[in-house]
Amino acid sequence: MRRGSWPELVGTKVSAVLQLKNVHKAFAGVPALAGVDAALMDNSYVSLLGPSGSGKTTLLRVIAGFEQPDGGEILFAGRRIDGVPPHERGIGFVFQNFALFPHLSVAQNIAFGLENRAVAPVTDAKAVAARVRDMIGLVGLTGLEDRAVTQISGGQKQRVALARTLVTEPSMVLLDEPLGALDANLRTRMRGELRTIRERCGVTFLHVTGSESEALAMGDTVLVLDRGRIAQATDAGTLYSRPASADVARFLNCYNIFSGAVSGDVFESPVGRLALGGVRQASGRPAYAIRYDRVAIRPRDAAAAGDEVRIEASFVASEYSGAAINSFFTLDDGRVFEVETHLSHAAPEAFEEKARYALVWKREDALVFV
Amino acid sequence: MTMAATSHDTPVETAAPSTRRQPDRTYWLLAPGVLWMLLFLVAPILMMVYVSFWTQTTFKIEPTLTLKSWITFFSSDTYLGALWTTVRIWLIVLVSTLLVGYPAALFVGLFVKNKTLSTALLVLCVIPFWTSFLIRVLAWRPMLGKEGAINMILMKLGIVTQPIEVLLFSELSVIIGMTQIYCVFMVGPIAFMLGRIDPSVIEAAQDLGASFWRIFRTIILPLSMPGVVVGAIFVSVMVLGEFATSAALSGRKVNLLGNIIVTQVGSLKWAFAAVAGVVLTILMGAVVAALLRVVDLRKEL
Ligand SMILES: Nc1ncnc2c1ncn2[C@@H]1O[C@H](COP(=O)(O)OP(=O)(O)O)[C@@H](O)[C@H]1O
Ligand SMILES: [Mg+2]
Repeated sequence: MRRGSWPELVGTKVSAVLQLKNVHKAFAGVPALAGVDAALMDNSYVSLLGPSGSGKTTLLRVIAGFEQPDGGEILFAGRRIDGVPPHERGIGFVFQNFALFPHLSVAQNIAFGLENRAVAPVTDAKAVAARVRDMIGLVGLTGLEDRAVTQISGGQKQRVALARTLVTEPSMVLLDEPLGALDANLRTRMRGELRTIRERCGVTFLHVTGSESEALAMGDTVLVLDRGRIAQATDAGTLYSRPASADVARFLNCYNIFSGAVSGDVFESPVGRLALGGVRQASGRPAYAIRYDRVAIRPRDAAAAGDEVRIEASFVASEYSGAAINSFFTLDDGRVFEVETHLSHAAPEAFEEKARYALVWKREDALVFV
Repeated sequence: MTMAATSHDTPVETAAPSTRRQPDRTYWLLAPGVLWMLLFLVAPILMMVYVSFWTQTTFKIEPTLTLKSWITFFSSDTYLGALWTTVRIWLIVLVSTLLVGYPAALFVGLFVKNKTLSTALLVLCVIPFWTSFLIRVLAWRPMLGKEGAINMILMKLGIVTQPIEVLLFSELSVIIGMTQIYCVFMVGPIAFMLGRIDPSVIEAAQDLGASFWRIFRTIILPLSMPGVVVGAIFVSVMVLGEFATSAALSGRKVNLLGNIIVTQVGSLKWAFAAVAGVVLTILMGAVVAALLRVVDLRKEL
């Protein structure tokens, strides 16, 4: 599924379909967007990752035109669109709760935009029917044309919502947590489908999600939104291995993070002095991050090699998740430390509860933010 | 992943038909309601139908079955006229409560985004009901009279030179009074249905390019229809059974079926009152049945 890595997109002017420049939006004085800068490439799948309340929905609503930004510029296909009403923007919106027209059938829902738009409506019933039929085939709803939208499943509603937008041929589609309302099984399947559908239409999808695995799996580019700002914009591989700050690392849910300060060649953390090796990244707030799957668990008496960092912790529990096993330890300061062991490398080891183990990793595997 | 796989998988998502069997015991919960209805609704109606065939003489009534009262009713211009007036006033009031009530409901239910405010506005509509019916009706007299508020304002503004006499003690005053009194029964159900429309549904329609009027016609109006029908049923049943407003505001010029019943009962003409009652009941039944055909309320509510 993974594509080759994409160039860093922030600041890229060429073939950017949507550009946001210093976009601000506050509700009753409380900022929801605090200077968003981003550029989205044409014909690509962009995912926008952010925790709940970080302003994801607000950003989409500003791009779609349902909310007016307080400041900044929005350029779509090179044209300034802040101030243009939603239906003249050529941007489709797929709502978090689907927002289907409850009194219309599947086919009528999909035909709505073609028949009722103010600009160039399709009046020929045959033409509408043909385009609706094509779209129903594309999203895999054949056979459900005349079903009431209240009588179809969540996954099917999702497809109707998408088809209803795609049939109007928008230049870009915004999806607000499109898989949030689906159960886990269906969510995984729809991921692949959304990507396939997008590739067939050749338009840019901006997919908002609070799930890091979804963001990483789907986006050619992943934007990370944190407290109303884009904290990082890069391809999934880079994001996963090189988060730009401790906050981004925290959203990724795969890093143990220590706060503290760098002094010379060591990082002073609450669990002791950690020797430094690899790269240091400027991020404003000093922190030390080590990925769950870069840590080895050893008996307490095993010695560490010269290029390794070693701390001690007591084992709490482990969680088996198919291909990997996640073990949880408590550190001396009471915090939880997580280790992910891939079972393809070794058979699962049995650890003793409350016993102390050495946790060891290579110096250069750690990310150091200064 | 291919599309073939998708359509192949879809049937899995359809829910199994739900079984809704209840133990028979729970039917006992219906007993008080059914008993009440039988005793105080069905029995009186049957009694009314029965009495309408009794023999009526000037001072007494006998349970000898006859069609006389029915024949008198349908051969009298007064009674047929009252029937026609009832139907006419009902239709006019129904249309005018809808014309006045729908925009108000649209404002309260859709444009006021704040739920507390829209509830407060609905409560405001009900405030007139804190006084008695008679006071509300009679309050129209100083408004509509020859030297009433409306005529005075119109004269002061120089819009008319003579007071408009037709305002009070006419069919118009009955219609104005009834529209005011019953409008809230139209506003309530419509505002309720409009309030249930998900705002993102309207935004979705906007995003798909529809103008406000298109959205109103294709989304808002159809979704509010159950409210319109419920409101129309409320207003119809109340207006068809009306007698007080016309008694107070028409100066006895407008006779509705309700007024006929009141007069007949007053002069102890029970059989005759029963005939008018049966006619009125059938009329209401027909109106409600017709309104229920407009939308399937069971599906919508
Ligand atoms: N209509 C609104 N009125 C007031 N505050 C809002 C409104 N919409 C969003 N907010 C606030 O803006 C912030 C961002 O919200 P939102 O964009 O919905 O976040 P997300 O979709 O990432 O969960 C939140 O703190 C939220 O309370
Ligand atoms: Mg949201």
